[in-house]
Amino acid sequence: MNLKKLLYIDRRIIYLVVAIGALIPIIRPIGLPVEPTDPVIGLFDKLESLSPGDAVIISYDYGPSSEPELNPMSSAILRHCFHREIKVLIMAVFPLGGVNMAIREVERITSEFEDLEYGVDYVNLGYKDGGQAAMKALAVSIRDVFPADVDGNDISAMPIINEIRNYDDVEVVISLATGIIGEWWADLVNAQFSVPVAVGCTAVSAPKYYAFLRSGQMIAVLGGLKGASEYEELLRRNFVWARKVYSDPAEMKLAATTGMDVQAIVHVIIIVFIIFGNIMYFATGKEKGR
Amino acid sequence: MQPLGLSIGVWVNALLTLCILSFLYKDNPFFRFAESLFAGMSLGYYIGIVTVQTLQPNLIRPLGETFFGNHNYLLLIPMALGIMLYFRYIPRISWLSRIALAVYIGYYVGVLMMQKIHGQVIPQTRDTIMPVTTGGIDALWNLVVIIGVFSVLVYFYFSVEHKGVVGKVSRVGIWFLMISFGASFGYTIMARISLLMGRFSFLVNNWIRPMFGS
Repeated sequence: MNLKKLLYIDRRIIYLVVAIGALIPIIRPIGLPVEPTDPVIGLFDKLESLSPGDAVIISYDYGPSSEPELNPMSSAILRHCFHREIKVLIMAVFPLGGVNMAIREVERITSEFEDLEYGVDYVNLGYKDGGQAAMKALAVSIRDVFPADVDGNDISAMPIINEIRNYDDVEVVISLATGIIGEWWADLVNAQFSVPVAVGCTAVSAPKYYAFLRSGQMIAVLGGLKGASEYEELLRRNFVWARKVYSDPAEMKLAATTGMDVQAIVHVIIIVFIIFGNIMYFATGKEKGR
Repeated sequence: MQPLGLSIGVWVNALLTLCILSFLYKDNPFFRFAESLFAGMSLGYYIGIVTVQTLQPNLIRPLGETFFGNHNYLLLIPMALGIMLYFRYIPRISWLSRIALAVYIGYYVGVLMMQKIHGQVIPQTRDTIMPVTTGGIDALWNLVVIIGVFSVLVYFYFSVEHKGVVGKVSRVGIWFLMISFGASFGYTIMARISLLMGRFSFLVNNWIRPMFGS
């Protein structure tokens, strides 16, 4: 066999193998086990420690490009909050789609709860431009930063806004973030206003967030699809309702746990290609310049 | 059976996804069309979302409803600064845009200075000052962190030639950097596979399966 041909394999063949590897678990889920880790358990424990009526902010700081990783996180966290009767303020500081992610997710999850009342148990404040400026201003008054909700309704008449005026009334901020926005919540809001911050981020951003977790500036980090699947597993282990929700085939199509099957298979394929490439590289005598 | 509007949306979504994925084979007009469409849509979306979610509730509505109440007239100042930014397109008065830019930069430099020093430099430095004599595995990890931070800082210290002891320490720094790049690369692969899975899941579960009634 000509080893050189194998070394210079067309990249499209690699794409094809990866595509097949990704498609198989989507068509036939395998159900590989997921083990929760401490960075994810931190958020679960924090929400468990809250009393009914306590408030959290969930900031949708991502767009459609991060939807596969962060939507499952959002679903799991919202379900946990609403089952614990925690009040949720929903907002977005990411311009390209954050507010639409929030609208879709909130509509979908709140439809599972008959007793939830908009403006009392939760409110969608919508998007606000300005990034750090908006985050800083929330410390003074949430109502001044968001005079209207996502649909343009005056929020001053909503009971939830009269109870939760600024960061002093918020137990934890959960940022579902792409890029740098999760970092702002830690190095600005946590540092200057001592609000506990948890970040659910895309996997690309996860490594840098572990430094914030270690220094205590974040109470939890949910890194990519893996973090989301761990949170789903925590819910399944602790609640009957979660076992029911996450056994529904329609829900499992959207769940991170299903996605982890794809991750496992494609990672194995990539590892095999890396080993194979290195073996071929040495077997062909480290050709010059390649 | 899906409603017609929904199924049209799914078809548009699916075909645009295929246009983008076609780049994996090679560059082609379908990919460029989808790419340009995305760029244009993003800009339009951004303008719309800022107008509806920020300008309208925080500027236009307060000025229109109660101009003098709550000192809302003060909003004319940021409004004027915002408009001044666009004066740069009128050569005769383009210098005015620099005033607005100066205010904008001044504010964010102030915010960022505090944010970086208070939120990153101090807590991250404090977290590097750790006990290494307590024994046990924690002390070992603390030592690894300290060696890593120190050697990487030496690697990025260019005022001294990297030879002798400095060279050896910076070499250790390179190893730490390589390991961190490897971890970042692994996470990046995980993120990209998630995106691929998201698109494939959509194509299979929302587009192909409904076509065959499953």
